[in-house]
Amino acid sequence: SNWLPFLVWFQFSNSHMFINDVFTSCGQWLEDQTKKLHKDMKKSTEADLAMSKAAVKISADLLSNPLCEQDQAFLDSMNALDTAMKRMDSFNQEKVNQIQKTVIDPLKKYSGVFPSLNMAVKRREQALQDYKRLQSKVEKYEEKEKTGPVMVKLHQAREELRPVRDDFEAKNKQLLDEMPKFYHSRIDYFQPSFEALIRAQVVYFTEMYKIFNDLTDQIDQAGLTDEQRERETEAKLSELRALSIVADD
Amino acid sequence: MEVPRRLPPSSFTLTLPKPAASAPASFVPEKDPEEEENLREEDEAGEETFISTEEAEPGASVVERSNSNLSSRDSFSEESGGPMSEERLAPEADEETGRKCEEEERAAAKERAAQRQLMAIEELVQSERNYLRLLQLSTVTIRGNLLKLQPPLLNLNSMFLHVDEVMDASSRLLSLLDQKRVRPGDPLFLQTLCESFLSLSSDIEAAYKEYLANYNHITVVENSYKQREGLWNEIVRVIKASAPEVNATSLTFFLVMPVQRIARYPLLLQTIQKHTDPAHPAYALLEHTAHTSIALNCGINEYKRFREVADKYKKTETLTIKDKINRLNSHSIAKKTARLSQQIKHETGITPKLVDEEFDALQDFFYVLEHGILELLENVETYLHHLQGFLACRTEEFDLDMDGEKAPICYKEITTALRQWILPTFEKRMRTLIHRPLCALRDLLVGPRNLIRKRLDKLLDYELIEAKSNLSYEEHAVANTYRTINTLLLNELPQFNGVALQMIWSMLGTFSCLHRDLASDMEQLFQSFAQQLPHSSLSPGAFWEWAESMALEGARRLETLCRSVEDTLNAPVVQPLSPSSQRRLKQLMDKHGSGKIWQAAAAVVSSRDLDLNLAKGELVAVISEMDTRGDRRRWLVDAGGRRGYAPSSKLIRYHQPAEDPPPSPHLTLPDGVTGIRRHSYSPESRPLTSQPCFQVMAAYDFAARGSHEVSLRAGERVRVLEPHDKRGNPEWSLVEARGGQRGYVPSNYLTLMPLGVGVGPPGSYLPH
Repeated sequence: SNWLPFLVWFQFSNSHMFINDVFTSCGQWLEDQTKKLHKDMKKSTEADLAMSKAAVKISADLLSNPLCEQDQAFLDSMNALDTAMKRMDSFNQEKVNQIQKTVIDPLKKYSGVFPSLNMAVKRREQALQDYKRLQSKVEKYEEKEKTGPVMVKLHQAREELRPVRDDFEAKNKQLLDEMPKFYHSRIDYFQPSFEALIRAQVVYFTEMYKIFNDLTDQIDQAGLTDEQRERETEAKLSELRALSIVADD
Repeated sequence: MEVPRRLPPSSFTLTLPKPAASAPASFVPEKDPEEEENLREEDEAGEETFISTEEAEPGASVVERSNSNLSSRDSFSEESGGPMSEERLAPEADEETGRKCEEEERAAAKERAAQRQLMAIEELVQSERNYLRLLQLSTVTIRGNLLKLQPPLLNLNSMFLHVDEVMDASSRLLSLLDQKRVRPGDPLFLQTLCESFLSLSSDIEAAYKEYLANYNHITVVENSYKQREGLWNEIVRVIKASAPEVNATSLTFFLVMPVQRIARYPLLLQTIQKHTDPAHPAYALLEHTAHTSIALNCGINEYKRFREVADKYKKTETLTIKDKINRLNSHSIAKKTARLSQQIKHETGITPKLVDEEFDALQDFFYVLEHGILELLENVETYLHHLQGFLACRTEEFDLDMDGEKAPICYKEITTALRQWILPTFEKRMRTLIHRPLCALRDLLVGPRNLIRKRLDKLLDYELIEAKSNLSYEEHAVANTYRTINTLLLNELPQFNGVALQMIWSMLGTFSCLHRDLASDMEQLFQSFAQQLPHSSLSPGAFWEWAESMALEGARRLETLCRSVEDTLNAPVVQPLSPSSQRRLKQLMDKHGSGKIWQAAAAVVSSRDLDLNLAKGELVAVISEMDTRGDRRRWLVDAGGRRGYAPSSKLIRYHQPAEDPPPSPHLTLPDGVTGIRRHSYSPESRPLTSQPCFQVMAAYDFAARGSHEVSLRAGERVRVLEPHDKRGNPEWSLVEARGGQRGYVPSNYLTLMPLGVGVGPPGSYLPH
């Protein structure tokens, strides 16, 4: 939920009430969103890295298998695949590093601000409670019959009230100044992150295309459609199944 | 938090996210006790839902509130009734029951959802109109003007080969909507929209298929124009002159739009779906339409790949890979593994009495192959597992309410496409073309493996009887069994080995091809965003420098904010002193000087001998900042005659309001700041209202339901008189609308706009 409208209205009017709920609920929302995005980004990059490493393992394990040495052309293909996977993995690592610096770390820092803000909101609320307490004290004396002792007490209470009220209003104003700016600042703060996310992916996929376009030209020139591939695979499997040694007697 | 893009994203609108499910409870004046109680509960319920995010989004959070807030609020609202009551209108005196309030809340929530849905629908329609208009502009006006250039541009018309079908599909969609004579506000409109889209879906697919499959050609031609600077400048001039209101600097600016448009349908439809009640009659149809739009994208991409394959068949003079794979026949395998088998025998030291080199070679190859297949299968499954993990992270759902900004929108669209159809297609192809055949191959290993083992058993038997000259019937049978198995394996294993290896080899080629297709799909998607992002023209080095410096700058600003918040808000209140405190202060200052005066921040209760009891706020002078044993947490203080120890954690330095305070030892100073702001509070301190930098306006239409409310039209500017109702409920606000009428409106119907920014019509959002 968006609490900025309320904050601005409080700037227009003199009403100080009820901001606490507004601050806590809306600050909470932004905090939650930021934390979730941070968590999801981390999970996503971890999965991304793991995927890339798994791809490297596919080619590396095959290359270390003696199978490769059986045929020079096969060995050449395996080498090319292995090289391609390693290159892709290093680009992926670079991409993740960039995202870490320009997206994930800023997200974390942003989350780190909320404890201070939440504390500030609490302090303001405490100040408000003090204010109210002393205010009602003043009003209590104001309602009494104006005897000498009462007037003295009233004066004292007013003196006590003044700095507390000023303190509250200063804290209040500070929050009213800072909170909208903070909330609005997320746009300027995160805009670069989103741009960086996009750019990092553009670079990565551009490189990936170059690498695998070349590799495919080298090891998959036939350029079959999916249906053709499936048919070929099925034909080979049938050939194998037709062997007597395959049927387990 | 999804926000309808009613206002153009280039103005930074801080629009409200989806309002709370329950409308604010109506304000009720005096009530009899039990109704009061009902309402109070309801108020709480209303409050709870107000402050929690309403939909079951992953981000829904509920804030815990202490009940003390509610009660203190109530008492306060009575207190401050004074100055503002004249301005308040008398709320209605009707007494509504709790049940009726709830119903009203639900109805109001439904109304708001309906408005959001309406906006999403209008966004789809308006953006379609805009899209078609711009395409027509480029095809007719710009092309017409470009054709007049001398010398004539080569291949110009080839760039516009397939755009007519795309425009036709779009205009047919729009005319279907217009024909039915329903307006977006009409409940039937959604159904009409879905039916029209679905009826045209095969035509849409056919048109966009061709367009996207040939898009590369368009960029190639444009790049050829860019090679000649003079020519290119001329072209750009014509474009700008033909379409002055559009900020276009290339032909692909227009011609890339179909690429983006087809990918946007899923997001647009899903947004409508998000704000549609599942009970809505057209909901199932809408869901089907959204799925169809994704399927369209899959089909179009698949066709693009198909065409690439067909166009790109390479003929090389040297042996092609296919030939090389086919050469792996049985004979060559057997020969080549001879060396391998020698190696293994040497290492294991096995010399069975009957050494059959050829067989051993085959057998060893088989085992190596088996190991390779099992390992490959395991690796592929790990890969797929992580791919699924990646797909499970829906990072595009969190936009931090930045729906109006270009970069988050682009990110959202890219990630939606990647996660909803590009990667799923990749996964599906991986499973069909690699994982499944690999599993089948693994299953086929069982037969030969068992047979090889059987052969070995029989061989041992055979060795025993082989030398004999006169074999019994059973012994003959044993010998024959062995020989049969041996011969069978010798004949067929080579073929098995060879075909299996061929399969693996082909699969790896497929693996590479899948990656290439994935990258190609993403590249095509990126093309439509290339021109929209502000820093996309920066070189890679420059871009990352910029991004990292922005991150640093952002961190700095956050730090400053934190510090300023901590400084100001943690400053202690400077109380005026009571007469007795004033006397104490004078006494202590006379004796110890003003630098040593501290104040008890909280009451201190003595816990040991020689400890003092201090009241909160009591002034003391610090004599020593440690006790006789060197413990720095216990300070020796003078409390106006009494001397003793007090915990240093409870003492804060005391400053006279008039003095400049020395810097606190606890806070570090930012650069350039010479002192900490601790304020001296006086009644004439700074005014409490600061310059407003936003204006408030109505985000949605609102119809007043009584004399205490005021009607609003979306986009109307209002002046807020009070951001709460008479009971202090912030969900209603008292506003003054145009014309001077005053009344209450729901607070979350209002939004902020920066001063001086205008509001555009809906549908003017375009990806540029």
